[in-house]
Amino acid sequence: MTISTLNTHKPSETRNASTWLSIDFDLVEYHDAWALQEKLIMARRAGILQNDLILFLEHTPVFTLGRRGGRECVLVSDAFLEKAGIPIIQVERGGNITYHGPGQLVAYPIVDLQSARIKVVDFVSALEDVMLQTVKTWGIAAERNDANRGIWVGPKKMGSIGIAVRRGISFHGLALNVHTDLRPFSWIQPCGLQDVGMTSMQIESAQTLSMQQVRAILKKQFEVVFGIKFTLQTPTDLNAILEHAALKDSV
Amino acid sequence: MKEINELNFPDDVRYAKSHEWARTEGDTIKIGISDYAQDQLGDIVFVELPEVGDTFGQSEEFGTVESVKAVSELYMPVAGEVMAVNNTLEDAPEKVNNAPYGDGWMLEIKADNPAEMDDLMDNNAYLQTLKG
Repeated sequence: MTISTLNTHKPSETRNASTWLSIDFDLVEYHDAWALQEKLIMARRAGILQNDLILFLEHTPVFTLGRRGGRECVLVSDAFLEKAGIPIIQVERGGNITYHGPGQLVAYPIVDLQSARIKVVDFVSALEDVMLQTVKTWGIAAERNDANRGIWVGPKKMGSIGIAVRRGISFHGLALNVHTDLRPFSWIQPCGLQDVGMTSMQIESAQTLSMQQVRAILKKQFEVVFGIKFTLQTPTDLNAILEHAALKDSV
Repeated sequence: MKEINELNFPDDVRYAKSHEWARTEGDTIKIGISDYAQDQLGDIVFVELPEVGDTFGQSEEFGTVESVKAVSELYMPVAGEVMAVNNTLEDAPEKVNNAPYGDGWMLEIKADNPAEMDDLMDNNAYLQTLKG
C-alpha cells in the first residue's frame, strides 16, 4: 500500500495532514455513533475540525442494512429479533446486511479523502491492511478474498468494511471481530455470499483477547499504514468543539 | 488503477471539482462522472439515480455510486430538471468504468441557468487540480 507516500503529495493548504485525532468510546448505540459521524463530516468540511480523525468503539447489538438493503436476508422473525432486543437499521454505507455487537472493534475514519488525494480503492485496501497487520500480531494468517472485501481466514470472515463518501469525506468504516458473540450472524444470510461463515480473532488465535490491547495495536497499524500519528482526544473535548461551533453558528 | 496521464479528459465536456462532467447537447445537458472518478472508485457495482422530473440545485446530491464496499455521493454540476436517466446502468453499472463519457452517462437535464456551465472547469484546468 502506498497511502503513506500519497500523503507526501498533500496540497500545502491541508495543514495537520499527518496528525489524526483518535477518539475512544466504550459501548455506543448505533444511532448515537451515526449522528456523531454526520456532525463530524459537517465540521470537517467547514474547517471547524482541521484534522482527520477516527472514532474507535463497540456497538450495542444491532443489524445494519447497506445502501442497497438486505432486509430479505434476515432469516429470523421480527418477533425473534424483538425478543433478542436487536434493532435493524438502514444506513447509507456500502455493502449489505451485517451485525455489530460487543466484542467487535469498530473504527469510523472521518477522513478528507479528496483533499488528501486518497483514492477510494486505496482507502478500502488500506483499511484491509490495517486489519490484516493487526491480527497478524496474534499469529492469525488472515487474507483478502476475491469473493468480498474485508479480511478472511479461509472461507470465514473476520473483519468487514463498509464506507460512505460525502463531499469527499469518508465515514462509516471497519468492524473487526475480536471476541464477538457470532450467533447473531447466523440469523442473517449475507446476500450473494452463500456458505460464508464468520469468525473472530479469539477463535482463530485460541487465546483470551483483551479488547484494549487489540485497540492499541489497531491504532498502531493505522499509523503505520497511513503514515500518520494519532493525538488522543476525549469524547468530551470533541463535543465541546462541536457545541462551540454550533453556538457560534446560531448567534 | 491508472496514472493521471493515462486517464482520458475530453475537451467537449466541462468538469466539476467533485469529479462530475457536463456536456451541452442541444437544449439539454448530459451529466456523468470523470475518468478520474471512475478510476479512483474502482469497480462500480451499483448506481442509484433520481427520477425523471426531479429537480436539483447546483452541487446538490443527485445519486450515489457503490464500488468496493464504498458508497459515494454524486453532485449536480449545474442546477436543473432531470429529463432522462440512463436506466441501462441498473443492469450494467460497469459501463461507468468502461465508458464514463459515453455509455456510462447518468443524467440528461434541462438546466435552470445554462450559464452555470461557466462555473465548471475545462479539461486543462481540471487536469491541473488533479496534478495539484
